[in-house]
Amino acid sequence: MLDQNGNHSRAAAGEGPIVEVRGLSFARGSRIIFNHVDIDIPRGKVTAIMGPSGSGKTTLLKLIGAQLKPDAGRVSVDGVDVHRLPRDEVFEMRKRMGMLFQSGALLTDLDVFENVAFPLREHTRLPGSMIRTLVLMKLEAVGLRGARKLMPRELSGGMARRVALARAIALDPMMIMYDEPFSGQDPISMGILVQLIRQLNDALGLTSIVVSHDVAETASIADYMYVISDGKIVGHGTPDEMGRAESKWVRQFMQGLPDGPVPFHYPGAGYIDDLLASEEP
Amino acid sequence: MIELLRYLGRWGLGVFQRLGRGHIFVLYVLAGIPGLLFRFRLVVAQMWAVGVLSLLIIVVSGVFVGMVLGLQGYNTLVDFGAEESLGVAVAKALTRELGPVISALLFAGRAGSALTAEIGLMKATEQLDGMEMMAVDPLRRVVAPRFLAGVLSMPLLATMFTAIGVVGGYFVGVGLLGVDDGAFWSQMQSKVELRDDIINGVLVKSFVFGIVVTWIAVFEGYDAVPTSEGVSAATTRTVVNSSLAVLGLDFVLTALMFNQ
Amino acid sequence: MTSKGVEIGVGLFVALGLAALLMLAMKVSNLSESSVNDGYELTARFDNIGGLKVRSPVTMAGVRIGRVSEIGFDSQTYEAVVNLTIDSKYDQLPDDTSASIFTAGLLGEQYVGLEAGGSLQFLGDKDEIKLTQSAVVLEQIIGQFLYNRAAQGGGS
Repeated sequence: MLDQNGNHSRAAAGEGPIVEVRGLSFARGSRIIFNHVDIDIPRGKVTAIMGPSGSGKTTLLKLIGAQLKPDAGRVSVDGVDVHRLPRDEVFEMRKRMGMLFQSGALLTDLDVFENVAFPLREHTRLPGSMIRTLVLMKLEAVGLRGARKLMPRELSGGMARRVALARAIALDPMMIMYDEPFSGQDPISMGILVQLIRQLNDALGLTSIVVSHDVAETASIADYMYVISDGKIVGHGTPDEMGRAESKWVRQFMQGLPDGPVPFHYPGAGYIDDLLASEEP
Repeated sequence: MIELLRYLGRWGLGVFQRLGRGHIFVLYVLAGIPGLLFRFRLVVAQMWAVGVLSLLIIVVSGVFVGMVLGLQGYNTLVDFGAEESLGVAVAKALTRELGPVISALLFAGRAGSALTAEIGLMKATEQLDGMEMMAVDPLRRVVAPRFLAGVLSMPLLATMFTAIGVVGGYFVGVGLLGVDDGAFWSQMQSKVELRDDIINGVLVKSFVFGIVVTWIAVFEGYDAVPTSEGVSAATTRTVVNSSLAVLGLDFVLTALMFNQ
Repeated sequence: MTSKGVEIGVGLFVALGLAALLMLAMKVSNLSESSVNDGYELTARFDNIGGLKVRSPVTMAGVRIGRVSEIGFDSQTYEAVVNLTIDSKYDQLPDDTSASIFTAGLLGEQYVGLEAGGSLQFLGDKDEIKLTQSAVVLEQIIGQFLYNRAAQGGGS
C-alpha cells in the first residue's frame, strides 16, 4: 500500500496541475466563503483568480498555503494534500511557495537587503558573501539593487511590493502567489509589476497565481482565469474566452458595469417606504 | 436576570478560553527556546529593546524610591531614637517588596506594552503571516527571543533597582539627615540575610514576575485583533493584567517565603 | 544602532546587573560576615539571655570581634548555653574574660560584650568563659524599682 501511495504521489509530481482544489468548502462563522469549489492551477502558467472584493480570494491563497484549514474538500500542491501534512512538512512545502502579501509584509525592523536575505539566513547556512550575491541578484531582478540600504518605511507602496517579490523568489520557489499585487498602485508601478510578474514567471519557470480584481491588468498577463462570486466559480477560461463569455455576471465583472446581476443597491427596504418612515426603527 | 447570568457565563468562558490559549501558546514558545541557544544574537538584540532601554526609568525610579524610604523611615525611627536602623528599614523594604514589585510594574509599563504593540503591529501588517509563508515559525523567530530576553532582563533590572534604591536611602539618611555612616551599613548587614532577602526577595520574585509579565505581553500581542483598535486594546490589557498579576503573585510569594 | 553597539550595550547592561547583585550580596547583606568562618569557638553560660539571637554581634571595647553562632539550653542546670565564634585575628583573649549581654540603645538589638581580665593565659578553641552576666530584663528592673520605692515609702 505504502509503495503504491509513494508511486502515486511521484507520478502526480512533475505533471498535471501544480495545485488541485477539489470540493473545497470554507466558512467563517455563518458566512460561507467557498462552497464546493474546484480549481486547477496549471504548471508554468500565470493563472488569475478574480472576483469582487470580499469574495474570499485571499482566503483561497491562505488555504493553498495551509495557513487555514478547509471545512471540507482537498487542496493538493504538487500532488500532496497540504492539509494532511504534519507541521514540519508543511514548512518544507512552504519553502517551495512564495507569497506576495497585499501590504508587502516586509519586516519593518530590517532594511531592504536584510529583508531579502531573511529567508536565506533562516533556511540555509550559506556564507555571507554567497548570500550577498544572491540577494543582489534578486534585487537586480526587481530593479531595486540601488535601494538595498533603505528601510521599509522609506519605500513607496510599489517599491515595497517589488522588494517583497525579490524576497519571495529568494529561495527559488516553484510557484508564487500574488495577493492583490495591483491594488492601490499608480499607473507606472502597476505597469512595472505587471511586467515583472510575467517576466519572472517565464524566466524562472515558475507557476504564478494572481489574485486580483483589476481586470485589465490581470487579463493582460494571465494565461487562464477563474472568476469567483458568492463562494462559487462563475466562469473560467482564457482571457479572450472570458471577454466573450455568455454569463451576464462575468460580463458585468469583466467590463465593470455598474448594474447587473450584482445590484448597485445594497438589499434593503423599498426606497419610498424608507423615506416615509419618520425615524429609524 | 437570566440575561445577566448568560453574560457572566460568556465572560467566564471567554476568560478560560484565553487562559487555555495562553498556556498552549507558552508551551510552543518554550519549545522554541533551546534553538535560541545557537542564535543567541536574536536574544541579545531583544535584550537591548527590553532591558537596556528600560534602564533609565528603573534607575531614576530606584533612586527616588530609596530617597523617599530614607526620608520617611528617618522621620518614624527618630522618634524612637533608633535612626541607626534606617539602613535596615530601607534595605528590607527594598529587597523584599519594593525592589521586585516596583521594577516589575515599571517593566510592564515600559517593556511589556512595547512588546505587545510591536508583536500586535507585526500581526496587523501581515509580517507574522508573511513569515509563516516563508516557512519561518513566528513563535520561534519573533516571540521566543523576546520572551527569553524579558525573562533574563527582569531580575537584572530588579537587582539594579534595589541596589540603586539602597544608595538613594544612604544618600538621604547619611548624607542629608546625618545618620551615622557605619551604623547605617553595619546594622543593615547584620539584619539583611543573603538567602531570605537577596536571593528569595529580589531574585526569585523578579524572576517569577519577569516570566509572568513577558508572557502576558507577548501573548496579548500575538493574540491581538489585527487592527489599530485591537492592538491598542491589547496594549492596555497587557499593562492592566500584568500589573494585577504582579501584585497578586507578590502576595502569594511573600506568604510562601516570609511566613515562618 | 549597529549590531555591535547593541551587543556592547547589552554586555554593559548584564555587567551592571551583576555588579548590583554583588553590591547587594557584599555590602547590603551579611555575606561578607558569614564568609568569615575561620574563627574559633567559645562557650558562655547565662541565666538569661533576653533577646539575644544567633548572628548577634560579639564586641570587645565596642569593636565587633565575632558573632553568636549557636544558642542552646542546658536542661540540667537550666542555663542558656551560647556559642560565640570569634574572628581568628583576635586570639589573645585572657582566660578570665567576662561576658555580658547588653542592649544597644533603649530598643536596639542585644549583643554580647566581652571585657578582658588580667590573666596571662589566653582562651583557646572550645574554651568556656566563666564570668558571665545575664541580660538586663527591663521589666525586672522596673519591678524592682517599684518594689524598692514601695518599701521605702512604707518604712518612712
